[in-house]
Amino acid sequence: MNKALFKATLRANWMLGLFIALIILMYVSVSISMYDPGGTAALNEMLDMMPKGFMKALGFDNLGSDLTGYLADFLYGFIMIMFPLIYTAITANKLIAKHVDSGSMAYLLTTPNTRVKIATTQAVYLIASIAVIFVFNVSVAIIMSGAVFPGMLDIGKFLGLNLVTFLVVVAVGGIGFFFSCLFDETRYSLGLGAGVPIICIMFKMLSEISDKIAWLKYLSIYSFINIDKIFANGSYVILASSILIVIIGVLYIVAIRIFNARSLSI
Amino acid sequence: MMIVVKNLTQIYKSGKGIFDLDFSIKEGEAFGYLGPNGAGKTTTIRNLLGFANATKGDAKINGLDCRKDAAKIQNSIGYLPGEIAFFDNMSGMEFLKFMGEMRHVTDFSIRDDLIERLELDLHGKIRKMSKGMKQKLAIITAFMHDPQVYILDEPTSGLDPLMQNIFMDLLENEKSRGKTIMMSSHIFEKVQKVCDRAGIIKDGRIVAVEDIHSLNALKQKAYIVTFQDPTDIEKLNNTNLTIEKISSRQVRIKVNQNYTNFFETLAKCSVIGLDSEQLSIEDIFMKYYGKVGDSNE
Repeated sequence: MNKALFKATLRANWMLGLFIALIILMYVSVSISMYDPGGTAALNEMLDMMPKGFMKALGFDNLGSDLTGYLADFLYGFIMIMFPLIYTAITANKLIAKHVDSGSMAYLLTTPNTRVKIATTQAVYLIASIAVIFVFNVSVAIIMSGAVFPGMLDIGKFLGLNLVTFLVVVAVGGIGFFFSCLFDETRYSLGLGAGVPIICIMFKMLSEISDKIAWLKYLSIYSFINIDKIFANGSYVILASSILIVIIGVLYIVAIRIFNARSLSI
Repeated sequence: MMIVVKNLTQIYKSGKGIFDLDFSIKEGEAFGYLGPNGAGKTTTIRNLLGFANATKGDAKINGLDCRKDAAKIQNSIGYLPGEIAFFDNMSGMEFLKFMGEMRHVTDFSIRDDLIERLELDLHGKIRKMSKGMKQKLAIITAFMHDPQVYILDEPTSGLDPLMQNIFMDLLENEKSRGKTIMMSSHIFEKVQKVCDRAGIIKDGRIVAVEDIHSLNALKQKAYIVTFQDPTDIEKLNNTNLTIEKISSRQVRIKVNQNYTNFFETLAKCSVIGLDSEQLSIEDIFMKYYGKVGDSNE
């Protein structure tokens, strides 16, 4: 971990992070303000007018009736997946591959800092920035729910859901970071760093449409965000989180080791 | 020995690369690294800085392996990249401060002195800087931490002649302070002033490591001479000057130290123009070995 590099990385990347955090904030506040404690009938009616399969794939097919279930279905089926993916894919690519592609990595490596230290600093930035985006939005959601619908949000369940989602996003960031460390050129790094998670999203969506292809869910990292299971018992949250932490550890460590061992054309 | 390169080989997928390079540079010595574009100069330098993995062989600076101990040797190296890419979103000064922090530099007197000598305005974003300004910024970055060894990849490219002179003075000064210098170029004249020895690389292989004075003696210079009277060109055919006709009124004459003959002959002709032409390292080389291989350019 190198403080000077962390600061420089923050300066070059904070804007996108803020932008994504604010977009998510907009969805969070809109979804809370649209909640009708009397029942989500009106909203469900509106969603009924949309193509059924499509809504099902996005997780909008059956909005939960209590606030926690409603927020989970409204936000964690698509919005909390897609926007963080845009963020991690772009940022992970910028953290390593872009410096190698442009040649500015040469300046980082002509300082007395090892490659491991430099890549670790960049990885820490990626994970920390995702954490900030989540903490910010989760806090706003809890505070806003408490203000508008006091006592209606099951904070324990909501935090469990966010913990799993956060870890999935960090793992997806790890996929982007892995390709960023692996490739010389940003087009490969960005292409695979965004492409692989997009395929995962598609697998999860398809698996939810029909039981015949439900097995596709085992190929998708996003399947860990299983709202029913997360709400049903805390042990699933612990199990999923533990597996995710192992996946995250492997992804980032392998990425950093590859970067350390590679021959760079800079 | 400050820099030792042993059997250094790095082969790219294309089959190009560097092959069995062997040379060493003494402490306090200035070494020119000459060769045409694509000969392998930058590949060699990438290995010296620990960026690239050699296929076999190794390079050592100050006794440390350039790849394995890359981080340890960096503070003793002042590196000037051939193709410079900074952190574009920073201003020049922000970049220098950033590099200072990354290197744990505490004494900024060299940096500030250089900013003044090179007359560089550091307030604008690097992205908006001209090529010459970026080159100056790169020079300051390479010199600011007072390194023991300079590794300079085509250092004068992008600088105007005045700045080239200032830069050469700077290098001479560093050399007199006992610093070791390795500078690459595809033009002999650029290294001639400062360097004691030069290695010549061609198609990835070192073909000669020579004292700079003996290389200088081999050097030819070419002059483009324009005549008022086209028939003068025929007069030249009967002399022992090496000439090459360019147009009906222009010839290229190569001269190798014997200027008396050159002037005596031209004095008899109606010369209306005389321009000197810089010869590439390959031209010197051709004279040296009497032949030249296929160029990569």
